[in-house]
Amino acid sequence: MEAANPAKRAVKERAPRVKKKRTKEQRILSLKENAPYFLMVLPAVVVVFLFNYLPIYGVLIAFQDFMPGDKILSDSTIWVGFQNFERFFSDPMFWPLMKNTFLICIIGFVIGFPLPIIVSLMLNAMKGRRTAKVLQTIFNGPHFISLVVLVGMLTLFFGRYGLVNNLAASIGGERYSYFLESSAFRPMYILSSNWQDFGWSAIIYIAALSNVDPQQHEAAILDGATRFQRVIHVDLPAIMPMISVMLIMSIGGLMGVGYEKALLMQTDGNLQVSELISTYVYKRGLTGVPDQAYATAIGLFNSIINVVLLIIANTTSKRFSENSLW
Amino acid sequence: MSEVIMKGLKKVYDNKVTAVHDVNLVIKDKEFVVLVGPSGCGKSTTLRMVAGLEEISDGELYIDGRLVNDVAPKDRDIAMVFQNYALYPHMTVYDNLAFALKLRKTPKAEIDKKVKEVAEILDITQYLKRKPKALSGGQRQRVAIGRAMVRDPKVFLMDEPLSNLDAKLRNQMRAEIIKLRSRINTTFMYVTHDQTEAMTLGDRIVIMKDGFVNQIGTPQEVFNRPVNLFVAGFIGMPVMNFFDKCKVVLENGVYYAEIRGVRFKLNDFQQKALKQNGVKTQEIVAGIRPQHITVGEGELKATIEVSEMMGSEYNIHARSNEDEVVMLIPTYDLATDVSMGRTVAFSTKPELIQLFDKESGNNLIWYDAESAQNNAPTCKRYDF
Repeated sequence: MEAANPAKRAVKERAPRVKKKRTKEQRILSLKENAPYFLMVLPAVVVVFLFNYLPIYGVLIAFQDFMPGDKILSDSTIWVGFQNFERFFSDPMFWPLMKNTFLICIIGFVIGFPLPIIVSLMLNAMKGRRTAKVLQTIFNGPHFISLVVLVGMLTLFFGRYGLVNNLAASIGGERYSYFLESSAFRPMYILSSNWQDFGWSAIIYIAALSNVDPQQHEAAILDGATRFQRVIHVDLPAIMPMISVMLIMSIGGLMGVGYEKALLMQTDGNLQVSELISTYVYKRGLTGVPDQAYATAIGLFNSIINVVLLIIANTTSKRFSENSLW
Repeated sequence: MSEVIMKGLKKVYDNKVTAVHDVNLVIKDKEFVVLVGPSGCGKSTTLRMVAGLEEISDGELYIDGRLVNDVAPKDRDIAMVFQNYALYPHMTVYDNLAFALKLRKTPKAEIDKKVKEVAEILDITQYLKRKPKALSGGQRQRVAIGRAMVRDPKVFLMDEPLSNLDAKLRNQMRAEIIKLRSRINTTFMYVTHDQTEAMTLGDRIVIMKDGFVNQIGTPQEVFNRPVNLFVAGFIGMPVMNFFDKCKVVLENGVYYAEIRGVRFKLNDFQQKALKQNGVKTQEIVAGIRPQHITVGEGELKATIEVSEMMGSEYNIHARSNEDEVVMLIPTYDLATDVSMGRTVAFSTKPELIQLFDKESGNNLIWYDAESAQNNAPTCKRYDF
């Protein structure tokens, strides 16, 4: 049978491809040829190394009994292994912190991830291109408001004597201290974050949608597809690779919520839900009597969770779709 | 009866640019009409107006006797094949073919039957589970055609469907379309800028330029009887040779064409036609097709600059004084030496000379002012 198919046999018998080793001269020549490109990329490499890779050296203090002023590596360094991590796992704040961080991230993600996709699809489906552009610009505006101003706005709206309470009072309602109520913290935090960023996040999808072949829409029109069906069958599949990439990246950074806004919104009344891993790291590492080794251990633990989530998301995406980061 | 009638069809864009001027055209049932012309001539816009993808600014469009100006594309009973195939990339070939039927809520069993039937006709059954990106250009084009076929449309619209394919595949697919046409037997409207496609596919060809229809006719008609310089230059490969500063001379009631001082006595038909059209002695542009030139005889002389051996013929580029002359000479029985640098005599038969008015560019014999007035220009018919 094999003899009857010499082409197949030839493929089978083909010798494995051997990567040719380049000579020293060839390598030098290649370096010289690519020198301008290496030079162009050099500043970025330096910046990334200085600010992203070099500080990783600092995580060593998570495994030390470290006091402010100590050198990270010296003869007097006291290595404590995973002691700081064990302390965190047995810390009474461990589960509340995990729960608070996880809930605020997961609810924010569930609401915030599809929002820009829906907005971009809606803007793209609008007949009036000019109106769509104006709306897009308006939606982008809040992204440029600083967090302090944003929380200031929330105070103006939801403070005891803010707009919402004034309106409620004018119709005979009771004034309500939103910032002192733990039940109000998550909705205020998540909705304001999404309000601030949905327009900005939509840009990437709008850019992807601009690449959709108009003939596909025309073909769908001739097939009898409604506007909504065109969004579902033409636009959405076109941005699916982008959605996959953004999804992987979002899951990878799921537990990486910042401390600034939570701190700004934090009051004694809402502390039980507003204390997040990041705010706790800030407080333990930089305020009061700083315990930097402990704070670094908590931060490192948080980063490890993010890396694990990123790997899981990427592997899942690779298995079930054709899109992945690596 | 899937007849398409265009009455004074016009397209004016918002910026006041008129893309299509008063197109009057009747496409008969089961006829294959090709719209051809250079880029920007309005051929695709006309097709898109028929499809309902462009609003009609003025005029009336009838499909199967029904005025469809304001009818939605899906309700016009037409199907269109696009240049870029426009297949849904996330759907399999099967789903691409079935999509329009699914939207019409056709029963599943019927969809399945129809899809498999069409797939068999187009020989794509083995690819039904594949996605478009796993297909070659030719296979994708078949799927695009199949997607149109499953709908059993009254009119099949094709917008440059072969222009994304390489030359070899284009020839193959052209033959496929001819075969397909004989199998599905419906009305076709086909847009292309390739005159070879137009000549080989069309029952009739509509030649457009700058939004105007220049001539409507069978391939033979537009080749033999071009109504103006544009049509004469656009149709035919290689392009027709034009000799300006020539004359049509009326002497003692007899018409002659005078090219570079050499007189050709026109034949009886030309004599009658010129007489009927009231042509007097005047300056003209003479047109001779490269295929209609014979070498080795006659009083005209040309020096060969490039001589391309094509197998069955020589493609010769020569210079005759200030004119560049292209000749297509069959190699069979060629007695003259046509190597580069040689000066050869050349001639043509007088009845093969096209005579164009110097000012208007209209053919003095074939231009029909009346049909041009009706914006459906066809060449003039003579009773004699």
